[in-house]
Amino acid sequence: MSEDRREMIRQLAEYSQIGMTFVFSIVIGFGIGWFLDNKVFAGKTTPYLTFIFLGVGIVAGFKNLWDLTKKISNGKE
Amino acid sequence: MEHPILFISIILEKLGLPVPHTVTGHNLLEQLCTPYMTYTWLVMAFLIIVPKLTMGKLEMVPGSGQNFWEVMVGGLMDFFTENLGEDGAKMLFPMMATFFLYIILANMIGLIPGFMSPTSNLNITLGMTLIVWVTHHVLGFKYHGLSYYKHFMGPSKALAPFMFLLEIISNFARLISLSMRLFGNIFAKEVLLAVLFMLAGAYFAPLPILCLGVLVSVIQAVVFVLLAVLYCAGAMEHAH
Repeated sequence: MSEDRREMIRQLAEYSQIGMTFVFSIVIGFGIGWFLDNKVFAGKTTPYLTFIFLGVGIVAGFKNLWDLTKKISNGKE
Repeated sequence: MEHPILFISIILEKLGLPVPHTVTGHNLLEQLCTPYMTYTWLVMAFLIIVPKLTMGKLEMVPGSGQNFWEVMVGGLMDFFTENLGEDGAKMLFPMMATFFLYIILANMIGLIPGFMSPTSNLNITLGMTLIVWVTHHVLGFKYHGLSYYKHFMGPSKALAPFMFLLEIISNFARLISLSMRLFGNIFAKEVLLAVLFMLAGAYFAPLPILCLGVLVSVIQAVVFVLLAVLYCAGAMEHAH
């Protein structure tokens, strides 16, 4: 395999992963918040923790994107 | 969904073993006879017997069988060395190469009528992903000791607790997305093939999807192993 081909496959793997990782970060964040709200604190804090952890999940998703872009721009320099 | 004909399930039913009609069985024997388990064993048997038959005795001047396996193993070794370094590649080669051979064969076997892909069941892909996930954290602790936690803390001290939370979430997202991607792609292939077979199998309607199925099988196997290797490499290198 040539160098270009290898690079292409590596990027294919990372890009095909990033979309799903983004989505599941948000889902997991929401899930943690929902669990804390409804199971741990038994509805006393509803819906604040859900929203807070949803926000954290979204930030985590964006951090994944940010890390990937940083990795790519480092590779080019 | 009505299941297509599966040869091993029919044989097992003839032998009097209980083959469950749900996705997983109710007791242990039924669970062992589910199609994805039996076809996993078929793939395992294939991977044990066929290399034994084709390689025979190792010779200085390789025949065609030995040549094929040498190219296969050599290519995989080069590929891992590039990402993990010499020592890491030697350490992880047995696991990663097994994953590659198993996944590619398990994906491909579903293209033959009468067989199914074990990887089109979430239990199999999640099991493999859990192995990879646990391994890359164990490797992190092995290489860095307890200071492995610095990987989760980010560059600045003030934001460290927040960063820790983010890293934990994205780590679990990794676990789910890696298993769901392999499962989703292969399951979609299987369902599409089954539906086209039932609707217009006599007019060769599944033929284009079969061609695409070969492509998807190879790509998904390569991508799974590549991501596993990249995660391990990420855990082994120093924190930024």
